[in-house]
Amino acid sequence: MSPAIEVTDLRYRYHDGTEALRGITFSIERGDCVGLLGPNGSGKSTLLLHLNGILPEKARNTGHVRIMGEAVTAESLERVRRRVGLLFQDPDDQLFCATVEEDVAFGPRQLGLPEEEVQQRARDALARVGLRDYGHRATHHLSQGEKRRACLAGVLTCKPDILVLDEPTSGLDPRGRREFKTLLREIHATRLIATHDLELVVELCPRSIILDQGQIIADGPTRELLNDEELMLAHGLERPHILRHIHPH
Amino acid sequence: MHIPDGFLDGKTAGVAAALSVCGVGMALRQVKRELPPRKTSLLGLSAAFLFAAQMVNFPILGGTSGHLIGSALITALLGLAPAIVVMTAVLIVQCFLFSDGGVVALGANVFNMAVLGCVTAHFSFHAARRAMPGTRGEVAAVAFAGWCAVVAGAITCAAQLAWSGRLPWTTAFPAMALLHMLIGIGEGLISALVYLAIVRARPDLANTSSPTHAPPWTSVTLGMAVALGIAIFLAPFASTLPDGLESVAQRFGFEHAAVAPPVSAPMPDYEVPGISWSVGATAVAGAAGTVIVFLLALALGRLLVPRKQSATPG
Amino acid sequence: MSWLPHSHFTHSDSIVHRMRPDVKLACAFALILATALAPGHWTAWYAAVFALLTGATLVSRVPLKFVIQRLLLLSPFILAIAAVNAFHPDVRTPWQVVAAKSLLSLLAVLLVTLTTPFGKILQVLRRAKVPALLITTMALMHRYLFVLADESERMQRARLSRTFRKRKGIWWRLSASVVSQLFVRASQRAERIYDAMCARGWK
Repeated sequence: MSPAIEVTDLRYRYHDGTEALRGITFSIERGDCVGLLGPNGSGKSTLLLHLNGILPEKARNTGHVRIMGEAVTAESLERVRRRVGLLFQDPDDQLFCATVEEDVAFGPRQLGLPEEEVQQRARDALARVGLRDYGHRATHHLSQGEKRRACLAGVLTCKPDILVLDEPTSGLDPRGRREFKTLLREIHATRLIATHDLELVVELCPRSIILDQGQIIADGPTRELLNDEELMLAHGLERPHILRHIHPH
Repeated sequence: MHIPDGFLDGKTAGVAAALSVCGVGMALRQVKRELPPRKTSLLGLSAAFLFAAQMVNFPILGGTSGHLIGSALITALLGLAPAIVVMTAVLIVQCFLFSDGGVVALGANVFNMAVLGCVTAHFSFHAARRAMPGTRGEVAAVAFAGWCAVVAGAITCAAQLAWSGRLPWTTAFPAMALLHMLIGIGEGLISALVYLAIVRARPDLANTSSPTHAPPWTSVTLGMAVALGIAIFLAPFASTLPDGLESVAQRFGFEHAAVAPPVSAPMPDYEVPGISWSVGATAVAGAAGTVIVFLLALALGRLLVPRKQSATPG
Repeated sequence: MSWLPHSHFTHSDSIVHRMRPDVKLACAFALILATALAPGHWTAWYAAVFALLTGATLVSRVPLKFVIQRLLLLSPFILAIAAVNAFHPDVRTPWQVVAAKSLLSLLAVLLVTLTTPFGKILQVLRRAKVPALLITTMALMHRYLFVLADESERMQRARLSRTFRKRKGIWWRLSASVVSQLFVRASQRAERIYDAMCARGWK
């Protein structure tokens, strides 16, 4: 069976010529949960946008991205976007409709599903993220944690095989973080999580990839990588406290 | 300049609404044909931007302050057709969300501020831009276009009020024109400063390509603008104009639909020498003001943009 | 968001709130149109409309204080017209008629906007065949008004915190830079929103 995500020698330049990605190669098996770590500006978000086929529109990239064995091209774009659910960093960018219900139903409506199915999916997804009675709420009145969960519901309604998350816990309070972590654990799709939240990675992701200056620096079991103090400090990261207590060196 | 309901009569509101539907329809068609899909969301965000920008205060005299209106700025940044769509969206949302400006008067407001405002801004911007090369010319042109758009909108607003029989033309025209010639200076200054700051931060955001390819739409709007310009500047001298419009209305039977005069038929007061003089004086002041503001705009461009920076056009 | 109390009222409940939005809009529009076109001497008609609208306002339990404040904003326009009328008694429409017409129309619009969420109004406009591009633009504008207004307020606060003396020249430059930053950020956000729309199948 082909891997869920397969990226081969991916390179990408910004308009001003800066190299954002400099030859990225990795693959993720179906059902895995992988953490993507790296300092700010290391190219994490740029990489994630490629997995949904958003950036190749702008050209300036070389290399291949395959989703469930299928190359991301202009023809396969719709299938790819249906398979890959992308959770953006700023929930205000993603919640572009006026009410929660409208926003959560946006994906299925674009797929042209019948209205009853759209409603059903929206209700299910809202219930799943714990926002059962939030359908008619205005999106701009939600708290940060509610916004994040509404975004997740909007992605889940499209029933993606792969979930790609860009800093899902940034800006959340400890309770919001805990709740969101629980939600992520219960989803059984393939997950790739870009984050600075090292505790989240330790708890959810058996494997991690470290990215810096557009290149993959390390790829391996999370605990092993995060325990390598020298490696972590060299790339703007640190050994999480949670590991210090469990594995005192 | 948002006209509330009750200030326009049926025929004026109807004619203005019909003109607006035509203008906005043409703009929408042009946007659909030529705007890259990536920019669709920019229209909505620009509209939200204008709304937020209108809440930023610029101090003027004493304790008073003014704010950006924005038709010239958004025309210079996005181009004519997208700017008309954005301004129209702003006016409709202001009407239905904040009850700012009337519902029956919506057509007139869209015509004054979105259609006429942006068309005036577009042509005055591209005309004035040729006076100086590079960023300097653009900044000067934005200032000039800001002034022109405000004054043009105010004059048609006065004309609409006069045609509705709410105000005598000889009062409405000088009052609105002179007041907005002052307001326009603030608008021009703010637009120029903001435009310059945007071009310095992100030169790629300004869409200042001059309209070299001329689709039928451009020539049509050019014709409309020229006609309007002539009408605006000749109107004050032809002091019989309100009468002229009235006779047209009578010929087409509009007059019966219009408000019945509760007071005895008006004596046309523009025949009083003193008052018609004020209209003529306003028109002369307007013409002189246009030249002065144009020269001031050029000076502003020179003042704000050092020669070196201007050499690399944004 | 103290400057925008509207959305707090649109979700309460009353007969006026429960009315179908398209019916409500159509009624309000017909009423405003009729009021705008009614001859000046139809005093009874104005009184009837006033009674109807006041009744509806009371039933809808929209805070009266807010409605009155909003109506008072009209007064400069009406005062101006009244002043001109004082000097030109020969104008065809006396200022009292203009005042009555605009107050009644504004009351009708206020009642609709205070009891109907803007999204519902957009739905009605969409069904009335207003072009989709204009609807999308208004929907996005409505969604991001508050986000951008808050952003602008934060930027102004941050800048003021480092401005020690408010001289006019500096204030102008600060305000211009806030507005320009607002546009730069709005266009960056527009790109991210477009990405998010595409990611969920926008065509």
